[in-house]
Formats: sequence, structure tokens, C-alpha cells
Amino acid sequence: MSILVVLLSLAAGAYALAVIERWAVHGHLSLTGPAWAALALMGRESLLARKSDRLFFELGPVLLLVAGLMAVAVIPLAPELIITDLATGALFLNAALAYVLVALIMAGWGPNGAYAMIAGWRFLGQFIAYAMLIVMPITAVAMRAESLSTVEIVASQAQLWNVLYQPMGFVLFVVAAMGLAWLPPLDLPDATGELAGGVEAEYTGVRLAVLRLARMVIILALAGATVTFYLGGWLGPWLPAWAWSAIKILVVAAAMLSVGRYMPRIREARYLALSWKLGISLALANIFVVGVIALVVPI
Amino acid sequence: MGPRMSELSQYAILFGLSVGVFGFVLSLYGLARAIGRARAEPGKDVPATAGTLSRDPVWVRYHARYAGYALLFLAFDMEMAFMYPWAVVYREEGLIALLDMGVFLAILFLGLLYGWSQGALRRQ
Repeated sequence: MSILVVLLSLAAGAYALAVIERWAVHGHLSLTGPAWAALALMGRESLLARKSDRLFFELGPVLLLVAGLMAVAVIPLAPELIITDLATGALFLNAALAYVLVALIMAGWGPNGAYAMIAGWRFLGQFIAYAMLIVMPITAVAMRAESLSTVEIVASQAQLWNVLYQPMGFVLFVVAAMGLAWLPPLDLPDATGELAGGVEAEYTGVRLAVLRLARMVIILALAGATVTFYLGGWLGPWLPAWAWSAIKILVVAAAMLSVGRYMPRIREARYLALSWKLGISLALANIFVVGVIALVVPI
Repeated sequence: MGPRMSELSQYAILFGLSVGVFGFVLSLYGLARAIGRARAEPGKDVPATAGTLSRDPVWVRYHARYAGYALLFLAFDMEMAFMYPWAVVYREEGLIALLDMGVFLAILFLGLLYGWSQGALRRQ
């Protein structure tokens, strides 16, 4: 039962996010816009590029959707409203999101087009920049919660949300999450205006619709992960638990989508250097600081 | 969902969902096909480059210039495999755990600094 509810709210969330994306990125608010755009994509021709690697080309978007859904499966919307409350939830989230890299490289390699290929390999470089900054802040979250279960991680924040307990980890995680979801200014693999859409360049019609849907699901999963790990998940006064989850997830997703409007794209070399010189040092310091606090303060 | 389900049934659900995604995508493709098919026209299937097929395979154009980072990444990624179980029992073990991992992380961080000094943190 709760599986069905989560899947339906995922569909509603993906639609709401598509509306918000139009608003945040292009500046016009239209409630029916995404529906028409999806319908138009369905009716458009879906071409297979010449000399393409058919298996990779077809599997890329589907694997991306699977990865997003697996990540969503361990995110609680309310204490009982979760698809699977795995004991290793936080680790499973990492494992699921690792396939985003695989799927994007498959999608870039598949059509045998120069733009897509460059975009796919670029994402591998981006992965090396963001990957450690996803897992290291989560370690500090697990240290406080003494568990990897996402439900218990939310419960551990009853006294104080992690965004205040470990603000450094929060900032690192959100930036890395934006890199993982290739959101501007960290949108190297689709770099609109520079790589002609990059990974998306050779996808048309219904295949592009699946790719875009998968990306929405991944953004929702990462906003959900941010809310679960740092913003107290379903915790909040007056409103029911699921409402707090929904509000927080959509606000975080909208914030992540709109950053790109105010910042230029960051070059791969610069992103790598920043992540490893500044990011990793801060992430290690974060683990140490949280370690000391967790031993001294009993919350 | 009540008390925590058995691990096996949880993974069965996840597997079922993954298979369900394939079914969902296939039905979308079927729907799109019912609306209309791609017309076969010459030149339509050339990748968006400059209107012609490239002479060489396209992968020869890209050089992975982040090799130095990639090697360091391997070391750090291995380290994370130890960090997660450590993080769960951290508060139970107390100061000993902090010192144990502190030494480990200090050595790793020195490795990062050494790599940095040798120019590994640079786009080759």
C-alpha cells in the first residue's frame, strides 16, 4: 500500500518539479506546460543514430530511471511511508546513485556522436569530483544517528536538525548533489549552448521523454536525500508528516534548480581542483568535528 | 508498513520495481509507436556534429585528463568502505574509535597532500 502511495507521490512530484523547472529556468509559470511538452515528445520521431551501439543507447535512459527509483525507494516521506526501510539505507542510496554515472556514459557512448561522447566522458570527470563529497558527509550523518537506516537518521534529528548540527556537511552535500544531478552550474554533461545538449543531443521523441523523466526522478531523489539527512525529513509542527516532507523536498529541489540562473558554468578542471583541494579537506574536517561533538554532547 | 520486513522481501520489492520500470518504459514506447513511426529518410540518422559522419570513431577525440585525480579517487573510495561500518558503531566505541580513524584519516590526508605536491591535482 505504502509503495503505491510513494510511487504516486513520485509521479506528482516529478510533474510539480517539471513545472518548477520551467519557472526557475525559463521564467514562465505554466501548470499544463509539461503535459503538453511530454505529449509533443511522444508524438515526435524517435531516431536511432547511424552506427550506434544500440544496446547502450536503449539501456541508458532506462538504467537512469531505475537508479533514480532505487534511490527514491529508501527515502521516507513519513515514519511508515517508505518503499523499503533497509537497515543499510544510506549505503544503498549511494549504490543506486552510482548507476547514474554508468547510465550517462552508456547514453553518451551509445549514439556514436561526438557531442554525446565528449559529454559522457566529461561526466566521468565530474563523478570523480563529486563522488567523495556525497559519501563523506553521509558518514558524519551516520555517526550521529548510529545507523544507516534512513528512518532512524531522520529520527536522530528530533532535537536538532543536521543542517545546524553539521552545516559544513550540508553545504558540501548539496553542492555534490547538484553535480550528481548535473544541474547548472555543474551541468557539464549536457552543457546547453556548448555541446548542443551533450548526452541528450542524439535522443529524440519518446526516448528523450524517458531521459528527462529519469532526470526529474534523480533530482527528486537527491532533494529527498538532502531533506532526510539534513533538514529533519518529515519532522515539523502542525502539519502532517507527509506534508512536511513534500514541502521540504520541493523547496530544496526548486532551490537547486534556480542556482544555475545566477552562476556561470564551472569548467571541469576547476570543479575537480575545487572538490579535491577544498572539498575533501572540509569533508574530513567535518567528520572530525562531528566526531568530537558526538562524543561530548549526548544529542 | 508495520515492523521492519525481512531483508529478503525488501530486496524482492526492489527487484520487482526495477523490472516494473522496464515494463513502464516499454509501454511508453508502445504508446509512442501507436501515435506514429519515424519516416526513413536519408541523412536523418547522422549524429549532430556537422552534418556528415565523422571519419574516425568518435571516441578517439576525448582525452581523460583527470587521471591523477582518478588514482587518488581509488584510494579514497576504498577508505569509504571502512568508514560506513565504523560510523555506525562510532558512539558506542567512543574515544578509541575517534583515535583509530583519526590516525587512518591523517595518513590518507597526508597522501592527498603528497599527491598535491607532486602535481596529481592538476588537469594533465
